[in-house]
Amino acid sequence: MFDKILIANRGEIAVRIIRACREMGIKTVAVYSEADKDSLHTLLADEAVCIGPASSTQSYLNMERILTATVAMKADAIHPGFGFLSENARFAELCKKCNITFIGPDADIITRMGNKSEARKTMIEAGIPVVPGGKEAVHQVKEAKAMAEKIGFPVMIKASSGGGGKGMRISRSVEDFEGNFKNAQMESEKGFSDDTMYIEKYIEKPRHIEIQILGDQYGNVIHLGERDCSIQRRHQKVLEESPSAAITKELRSRMGEVAVRAAKAVGYVNAGTIEFLLDKDKNFYFMEMNTRIQVEHPVTEMVTGLDLIKEQIRIAAGKPLEVSQTDVIIRGHAIECRINAENPQKNFMPCPGVIKNVHVPGGNGVRIDTHIYSAYQVPANYDSMLMKLIVHGKDRKEAISKMRSALGELIIEGIETNVDFQFDILSHESYQNGDVDTDFIPKYFPDYVR
Amino acid sequence: MLKSMFKKTYTLIDSKYNNPDKTDEPNIPAGLWKKCNKCGQPIYAEDVKCNYYICPKCKGYFRVHAYRRIEMIADAGTFLEWDKEMEFKNPLDFPGYEKKLSAIREKTGLSEAIITGICEINGQKAVIGVCDARFIMSSMGYAVGEKIARAVERATEEKLPVVLFACSGGARMQEGIVSLMQMAKTSAALKRHHKAGQLYISVFTDPTTGGVTASFAMLGDIILAEPGALIGFAGPRVIEQTIGQKLPEGFQRSEFLLEHGFIDKIVPRQEMKEVLSSILKLHTSHPSFPDYVDNLEKSKEDGGKKKSFWQRKIKRSPWDTVLLSRNANRPVASDYIQAIFDDFMEFSGDRYYKDDGAVIGGIAYFHGLPVTVIGQEKGKNTKDNIKRNFGMPSPEGYRKALRLMKQAEAFKRPIICFVDTPGAFCGLEAEERGQGEAIARNLFEMVDLTVPVLSIVIGEGGSGGALAMAVGNEVWMMEHSIYSILSPEGFASILYKDSKKASDAAKVMKITAKDLMDLGLIERIIGENEPACAENLSEISKEMSGAIKEFLTAYLPMTEEELKNQRYDRFRRM
Repeated sequence: MFDKILIANRGEIAVRIIRACREMGIKTVAVYSEADKDSLHTLLADEAVCIGPASSTQSYLNMERILTATVAMKADAIHPGFGFLSENARFAELCKKCNITFIGPDADIITRMGNKSEARKTMIEAGIPVVPGGKEAVHQVKEAKAMAEKIGFPVMIKASSGGGGKGMRISRSVEDFEGNFKNAQMESEKGFSDDTMYIEKYIEKPRHIEIQILGDQYGNVIHLGERDCSIQRRHQKVLEESPSAAITKELRSRMGEVAVRAAKAVGYVNAGTIEFLLDKDKNFYFMEMNTRIQVEHPVTEMVTGLDLIKEQIRIAAGKPLEVSQTDVIIRGHAIECRINAENPQKNFMPCPGVIKNVHVPGGNGVRIDTHIYSAYQVPANYDSMLMKLIVHGKDRKEAISKMRSALGELIIEGIETNVDFQFDILSHESYQNGDVDTDFIPKYFPDYVR
Repeated sequence: MLKSMFKKTYTLIDSKYNNPDKTDEPNIPAGLWKKCNKCGQPIYAEDVKCNYYICPKCKGYFRVHAYRRIEMIADAGTFLEWDKEMEFKNPLDFPGYEKKLSAIREKTGLSEAIITGICEINGQKAVIGVCDARFIMSSMGYAVGEKIARAVERATEEKLPVVLFACSGGARMQEGIVSLMQMAKTSAALKRHHKAGQLYISVFTDPTTGGVTASFAMLGDIILAEPGALIGFAGPRVIEQTIGQKLPEGFQRSEFLLEHGFIDKIVPRQEMKEVLSSILKLHTSHPSFPDYVDNLEKSKEDGGKKKSFWQRKIKRSPWDTVLLSRNANRPVASDYIQAIFDDFMEFSGDRYYKDDGAVIGGIAYFHGLPVTVIGQEKGKNTKDNIKRNFGMPSPEGYRKALRLMKQAEAFKRPIICFVDTPGAFCGLEAEERGQGEAIARNLFEMVDLTVPVLSIVIGEGGSGGALAMAVGNEVWMMEHSIYSILSPEGFASILYKDSKKASDAAKVMKITAKDLMDLGLIERIIGENEPACAENLSEISKEMSGAIKEFLTAYLPMTEEELKNQRYDRFRRM
């Protein structure tokens, strides 16, 4: 087992990892930017190293500074969290070269799964169902249009390197295709310096269902059930839950089995997530694989009783999985709300500033993962997520009541947050009936998605 | 605040620090990072290798080993080295030279500071030479001079182009005066190569100074440079010590030399192979003339019917034409170049003082035939116009034009000039550098060119400034262009003592295309159904292209003597 782990991240996930390490008796090193010198992860870790100015490229994305800090602090492993360098194959490769364990899959798996066209190809070869559509990457409008017509409208235009909704457009007919394609391509070229696009069938009213998997270094792979992340705003997840209201035990084991097969097809090691689209007829299609821990991992933890961060560390240290598929039992229902420093009234504009006062809810089955505290200054340089509020109840109804109660108690003063927006979602009849798809927010909260 | 209030599980006294046997500790292996010597940032060595040895952070250029450079430029497996082993010579019996040299030979695995040989660049055969700075700063001694001379001689003999990548501190001190002679030796070989009508492309890389700058590196028919390379005769430190002043930022860098007219083009390393192969192709693809002319005749473009527009309904006054010829929306030389020619590659500089923005020129294809295209260029907005000096060339502009014409002559390319200037630039600096001389020189030299020359007045043909690019076998005008001894305003102020009477002057000056045609001073008028603008550019260009086709069909078959005589007679009868 590792003596010491460096956490190459910030915010609540860094805090989350530090806590897991502490429980395991592993020493922790935090890295922080100048803007984060008073951030909770900096204060909480056993040791902390400043790695540069506020700008991410100068700090949390600066590989050589992070590696140098790791060597200087004699840490054996790096946990990358999510975002930043977590899916950077080059970083994983450099860690290996420096004799540092990267807590995550190997560089070549990150590369294979990170490239969407490549990942899709791999999955088709492994017999995993994928969204019907262009198997080939396209660069030219003309080719793309022909492809779209062949697949049949509506189609989704996606950038190969895209993510977080960037470089992604829906085209409903030939008429609006060209404009949408050009916009998406331009976005991708600007954001990722890559104009490789592909076109696929747009599945109407799908649910976003993802399966959490764990794989060890000995070829064992298990799945931990699904998370329903259909509540999204511009392809950004807002609220997640497990299990999904749409999934039966039978479907769960079928999807899980496919996810395990997909992970085995690439020789996947560590925690990962296979994202699927589930259409209204319960057909599911592979979308992509995330080769890291996810923001919404706590809902899986709540219903399975497993600690995914600890599992990640154990797997990276070469331990075999202690649980087998039959040991995995989904108990109760968990919901997570992402609490962000943003103003829903102003098109979800991020609202950094000083938090004057925080009051957090508590009680049975309420979990708070956060890095904020009273008088904490939210820097403008990073993601606006402040907190994850997670509840666990015996069933979906109880979980919803618990979340509404918890949201009602959650007070964050000094900056704007989306707490009320989350409360409105949970109070919505359709949500309560479990009638959700990825169109939920645009459909019921059109004012918020102008 | 919460600072130091949390209970931690760890103190700095740790058993691991006392355990020196532990071998699998994290460490950064030597050579994983390189320090960029430009920005000082650590960079991942692999990234640099995969990125043409360019710093991924500051985009600064690292020096490249000669063999790596050849890998970047030559098609895989095509490089064949010449004169790999050179006999050691110590002409001055310089103490310790042999020892130093053998040490460097061992360290670098090179036998001398330059590698020469033959290769293919995107399928184009060329003789290539690449200096390697690791070898005594790639200084030029006997062996370097000899290798270059031999490679060039062989290229001349085998009718192959030469590409030399220069990088050098200058002469090799240990070889003293013998080293100096290499400057003359390499230059002499290149002169013969040039006389034989063969191409030489020189590429400056960082740093090139001293005797190499002052010999083979500066003698390219086309001179390229990598961005930011130090290029100079005297080193910056020597200059600073001599004049006792700090040199300005960017002094003696590629960009400085481009501005000062000494290099044709700055080419980023990633594009070097493509640019080189394009230039080589421009100099090797010579469709045989009879076939080419045949093909031209078959192509569909039509030169339009001459004089058909005499019967236009709208009658414009000469003054209207003056205003139209100056209209800001009128297409400029580069518009026609883009519309009529393919793959225009611009070259810069007069090789004396400056690159003049008012004149653009280079090589392009016309229906597959390489031609030299030169134009007087106006800007389209204020910023552009400042760069272009409102289309008023300075002496360096005429000298650049003449240089490119001489180059065209050397490689037997027809020349097409676009004339559009209010007049030669009238200013202090222009006089200091000999505006009169520059114009006179062009008239003197152009009449004697051994290749077909066509000049087209596309806007304003302002006096001597226009004539200096219009000593052609034929001179054409566009319907709404003018060609005059002086601007109508100037004419009016001299003769009528009132520049406001310019419109009256325009009437009597005989400056429109029709006037010049009637006077027998031009051969053709390119019609404009509507005054030329962006919208009808392609239509007009089509007609112009068809007319150029007819011109080439008529003049390409002529001998050098015939071309010169035709041009002489043309002006002799005026």
